Amino acid sequence: GSEAAGGEQRELLIQRLRAAVHYTTGCLCQDVAEDKGVLFSKQTVAAISEITFRQCENFARDLEMFARHAKRSTITSEDVKLLARRSNSLLKYITQKSDELASSNME
Amino acid sequence: MDGRVGLRASRRAAPTPRVAVRSSPRHRARSGSGLGKENKAGSSTPLRHRPNAFSELDNATPRVMLRRIIQNQPQVSPLALQTVQLEETEDAQPEPPSQRTSSTVELQLPDLVPEDASVTTFRMTRKRKKLSISEFERAADKRLPQNQAHSTLDSTLVRSLRMSVGSVMAPDTVEKRGLLRRPQNHKAIDIAAFEGGVEQNMLQIKAQDYLVDLQTSSMTGTTTIRTDAEVVLNNTELFVEPQLGEQNLLAVEPQLSDSKTSAQRSNTSYPAHEKARLEGLVSRVSTDERRTLRFSEKDLITDHEHVDGITQKTPAKQGEEEQDHSQQNDPMEQFSESEEMAGTTQHHADAEYSEHSEKKLSRKAVSQLTAAQDAGVEMEMTPSEGGVAEGTEHQDSPKAELQMAGSPGGHSPASYSLEKPGAKPLKEAVEQTGEIERGTITGVLDAAEEEATDDESDIEDHESEEISMKTPMFVHAAAYRPQPVLSPPHPVKSASPELPPQPVRAKPVPKSSGAAQRKTREPEIASSLIKQIFSHYVKTPVTRDAYKIVEKCSERYFKQISSDLEAYSQHAGRKTVEMADVELLMRRQGLVTDKMPLHVLVERHLPLEYRKLLIPIAVSGNKVIPCK
Repeated sequence: GSEAAGGEQRELLIQRLRAAVHYTTGCLCQDVAEDKGVLFSKQTVAAISEITFRQCENFARDLEMFARHAKRSTITSEDVKLLARRSNSLLKYITQKSDELASSNME
Repeated sequence: MDGRVGLRASRRAAPTPRVAVRSSPRHRARSGSGLGKENKAGSSTPLRHRPNAFSELDNATPRVMLRRIIQNQPQVSPLALQTVQLEETEDAQPEPPSQRTSSTVELQLPDLVPEDASVTTFRMTRKRKKLSISEFERAADKRLPQNQAHSTLDSTLVRSLRMSVGSVMAPDTVEKRGLLRRPQNHKAIDIAAFEGGVEQNMLQIKAQDYLVDLQTSSMTGTTTIRTDAEVVLNNTELFVEPQLGEQNLLAVEPQLSDSKTSAQRSNTSYPAHEKARLEGLVSRVSTDERRTLRFSEKDLITDHEHVDGITQKTPAKQGEEEQDHSQQNDPMEQFSESEEMAGTTQHHADAEYSEHSEKKLSRKAVSQLTAAQDAGVEMEMTPSEGGVAEGTEHQDSPKAELQMAGSPGGHSPASYSLEKPGAKPLKEAVEQTGEIERGTITGVLDAAEEEATDDESDIEDHESEEISMKTPMFVHAAAYRPQPVLSPPHPVKSASPELPPQPVRAKPVPKSSGAAQRKTREPEIASSLIKQIFSHYVKTPVTRDAYKIVEKCSERYFKQISSDLEAYSQHAGRKTVEMADVELLMRRQGLVTDKMPLHVLVERHLPLEYRKLLIPIAVSGNKVIPCK
């Protein structure tokens, strides 16, 4: 009973998160559409948001794996950098940003 | 009479092959001749045979004879009775030819019986026929002189027989030939052509080796990019890493406007490519005698950042080379080109070789750098030097410096040595450009030293010209990215200059390949293994180009996963790759999921021996001792 309720709760939470991602994706697509002068169909936005949501799940799992691999229980920026290794440009960007953040934090 | 009767009786009595043979026209002819005489003497019995008997004239015709032969030969055939025929022949009448014919037929009958029998049984047993045929023919030949008048008959008989047994003869001859060896055609060998071909082969092999060495020695280990498509495809970098020091070179070498329009094959921005280009240029130089240092200057100007494919040099185009130089992004390339120009005494218009080397060059930015370094050193030396050997000596000292700096300067001596042959003529050119380049070289050298780290793959091979330019150093340095270094072995190799500076122009190609061979190659998976595995799973024929692409893909794949594994082990603070790293990688790849654990995959795909190793619990026999 409680587990079922918890499950339902979880499901509801997932739905809400999905909706939030969808909304944000829609906003971003709108900005891009205005910028590039192209139109985004509803299906496109929905597809993008669904993909993003699933990838987030993957990222979370991988990050947890990486943290455990390093015998840590906290996910750090190192784990994130390892995650972004697949794309060189993304890795560079993230490294750049993290360096900026680190320097700004120090200051 | 009695004889005749007896003969008739005998003829009628036995429808055996022997009888059939006997009844053959020949036999009949012979017997007929004998009987004919008897006939003349005695009364003829011909009433019976009359209806069948032809006119005397007709008896003598070939058609009649043939008919008799055909009719009398086979006992088994449903043809007319032999006995009847025989009697007819007996009754052959007066005219001597006809008489003789019939008699000869009859007379010959007994002798020919065995042979005819064989003939008649031709269809039954081939082998037997063969023997009998020959015997028959022999017998026939014997009889031919006996019956001059009936030679036609004999011949027709023989011919008819031969026709029927003609097919038999063929297999004999064919068989016999099969056993005999066919006459061997020994063409007179054209020595000149042969030697020319050998030389070409050598050059090609060297070129290939050279190319392979370049490939293997390149730090990035990228495969040769041979087409523009490849070049485009290879550039997977979203950002092109800025090349430091290039600006210096560009500023320094304004002269190098023209660039050798070597076909840019690779768009990779890896310094290795530059190095490779340099190497390629070096090789090209070897082939291009006319290249001058000026070209190298132009090369220096080229942009480091844009490590493009090797510019192809045509030996005959100095002017074009110059233009090519300017176009070259990699100063190292320019350097190499200049080196090549200067040092290329190698006449071998080994276009292939040069092209190969060019390709290699694309991968070797570092080599270019070292080449530049070497060139720089040399440039300074050359004006004062008379010989290539001297140049190499000088190179050694700068190289030492370079080596100190961590650049594979060592390569240069080796490379220079390679270029030596033919370097002399270029020396003058070098001298001319030396002064110009010196200024730039020194500046470049510093930059190059800093940057030139590892990939000095086989610069030795490529750095043809001793004269080469100073630029190589800095060019390499600018273009070079930190990569795993093959440099350690290089200094050793470069330490031993291979070729005597001048002497043989023809030799440079083999020499450079020899030098290249010394270098340690980056380990490659045997292409035969890849072909085997791939074709096993594909089960359809695969072209060679497809195999090449598969090789490239697998090479890239293994590079990627090895770098991933290294990152993972580093992430865990280790220096050794462990199974945990591999499992993590497989999870990342999606091979291992929550539903599919690693052990299941191991059991599914690996042989038993590996399973035992990887899953010790499975073979523990229910004895599990936890550690600690």
